[in-house]
Amino acid sequence: MEEGRLSRLQMTSVVVLRILIGWHFLYEGVAKLTKPDWSAAGFLKQARGPLADLFHGMAANPNLLEIVNPLNMWGLTLIGLGLVLGCFTRTAAASGILIVLLYYLCNPPFVGYFYSLPTEGSYLIVNKNLVELGALAVVLVTGSGRVAGLDRIIHRLLRKPPRPAEA
Amino acid sequence: MSGEDDKSREGAPAEPGEAKKVDRRDVLLGLSTVPALGLFGYALSRQRGYEKKQKEALTPAAARKDVALVNVAVLGAGAQGQVLVDAMLRIPGLRFRAVCDIWKEYNQKRVVNTLKKYKHEVNGYEDHREMLDKEKDLDAVVIATPDFWHARHTIDCLEAGKHVYCEKEMSNTLEGARSMVTAARETGKLLQIGHQRRSHPRYRYCYEKLIQEAKLLGRIVTVNGQWNRAVSPDLGWPERYAIPPDRLKQYGFKSMEQFRNWRWYRGLGGGPIVDLGSHQIDIYNWFLGTAPAHVMASGGLDYHDPKTHEWYDTVMAVYEYETPSGTVRAYYQTQTTNGSQGYFENFMGDQGTLVISESELNYPGFLYRDPNAPAWDEWVQKGYVSTPKLQEVKEKDEQAVLDVRESVSPDLHRVPVVLRDPYHQPHLSNFFDAVRGEATLNCPAEVGYESAVTVLKVNEAIDAKQRISFRPEDFKV
Repeated sequence: MEEGRLSRLQMTSVVVLRILIGWHFLYEGVAKLTKPDWSAAGFLKQARGPLADLFHGMAANPNLLEIVNPLNMWGLTLIGLGLVLGCFTRTAAASGILIVLLYYLCNPPFVGYFYSLPTEGSYLIVNKNLVELGALAVVLVTGSGRVAGLDRIIHRLLRKPPRPAEA
Repeated sequence: MSGEDDKSREGAPAEPGEAKKVDRRDVLLGLSTVPALGLFGYALSRQRGYEKKQKEALTPAAARKDVALVNVAVLGAGAQGQVLVDAMLRIPGLRFRAVCDIWKEYNQKRVVNTLKKYKHEVNGYEDHREMLDKEKDLDAVVIATPDFWHARHTIDCLEAGKHVYCEKEMSNTLEGARSMVTAARETGKLLQIGHQRRSHPRYRYCYEKLIQEAKLLGRIVTVNGQWNRAVSPDLGWPERYAIPPDRLKQYGFKSMEQFRNWRWYRGLGGGPIVDLGSHQIDIYNWFLGTAPAHVMASGGLDYHDPKTHEWYDTVMAVYEYETPSGTVRAYYQTQTTNGSQGYFENFMGDQGTLVISESELNYPGFLYRDPNAPAWDEWVQKGYVSTPKLQEVKEKDEQAVLDVRESVSPDLHRVPVVLRDPYHQPHLSNFFDAVRGEATLNCPAEVGYESAVTVLKVNEAIDAKQRISFRPEDFKV
């Protein structure tokens, strides 16, 4: 780990990256929370690809949507807050990866699949979801919250004193 | 940043016995990204302000002082009720006072919350009589309940002295529809039936300017139309918001499943021919200037599960109209098993053809001039129709062989009228203008009744498996 230690510039870049992703998540979450009738059903109905049936099934099940909708709205918001503030950064990044992976699988730009809604770019296997997923992986492994973020304080406060036996 | 951190980390393992305290640097770095959240908050409040302004610009509603306020209640807050509310929120001079729906836990709550967001003080009711008793200053009620409730709701509202906008189909029975016409006459209150194409500017333009004035179609000889809809799953509901069985029973539903999918049940709705067809068959009557003389029809429950569907999922009907200029045969089909080519009405005359629909995307008004018809130059110059696009076979296309018996393709013109508002807004506006005494209804009870007879008889013809003849008095109350 010693030779892997990041320089100040490198760590600053990771923190900026973390804030940018966090901002994106936060607004995606808040925008949904403030729309009274927002539902994931529309997005899920558009699902393509190998897992399309699973997502279509979710869209058609009101009981499941009752869980999926708040989970998504609050998930996005809390992950966003976590990333911006550097609070429980690794949990936030890991959850973010999971949620973006779901979005990716909902409409994967695989060969031969196409999305019925117009998109602003051209994608082949890699799209912006996958890029964001990769960026979150960087955030996950660099633990920048303990350098610049609330994790630094939390970590200090919660750290157990090492056992004398080990010393 | 990390350089400083390196130092602090270096310190930690060196002195293992000592628990590190939070120092000033930790606090500064720990909170170093909080300003980003502040920036986010600022951006968010700007964005919210912008959205609010946009919303206000779209809904001048009570803010406008130059129109008399109409106090209105919504009776039936389901999917269609929501569509009407969304359209009404864009109409100035309306004050919402009440929302009535038996699904208190869900639909009623949703519409009440929507209206409260727009600063309307509304009360929620389960029972329409209680609403009429308590809301004394209502001027009008907009009804979007299931068809089998229309007659009861409309008559009670009219008798309580309210003007009524009632969704089509007027009623699921002809007796019900007839009693609504009588109630409107006896109370002297307005009753508009929700065949919203009657107020659609494109339809009005086509009828008044293109068919009546310019006579671009010549003599109309046949009509065809359709509403094809793709297979869709039955409507569900969140289990924890299910209506208790006794309340469902009290309002005429056997189950939550039936409550959500009432359109498919006999005695509650009329099936797709009534839900979809009545909009378009109403246009046949309007544009042809008369009601039909005969109808024959074929239909059945060919596809859906008879346990949860009672009405026909596939219907094909042929009407015969006796118009002053001759017989017109009119075909209509609706199927809920394939959505191809969606919905449109196609009026074919000996000089031209008009394909029209409510939609701006599909069939927003195409006119074809038949090759033998007099030139339309005059109407193009006047701007009644767009300049033509010639439908030529490209010579390069060697595969295409033009048969000598084939007619030359007609020129394609477009109808220059678009509607940017929600589909129901013009019809609702017409109703509220009439309430203020500034307009006459585009679809009063008598017109709605004529339409109901025309459409409900299709189901009768299917059941009877024979051609049914109408008498002129069948359409009168």
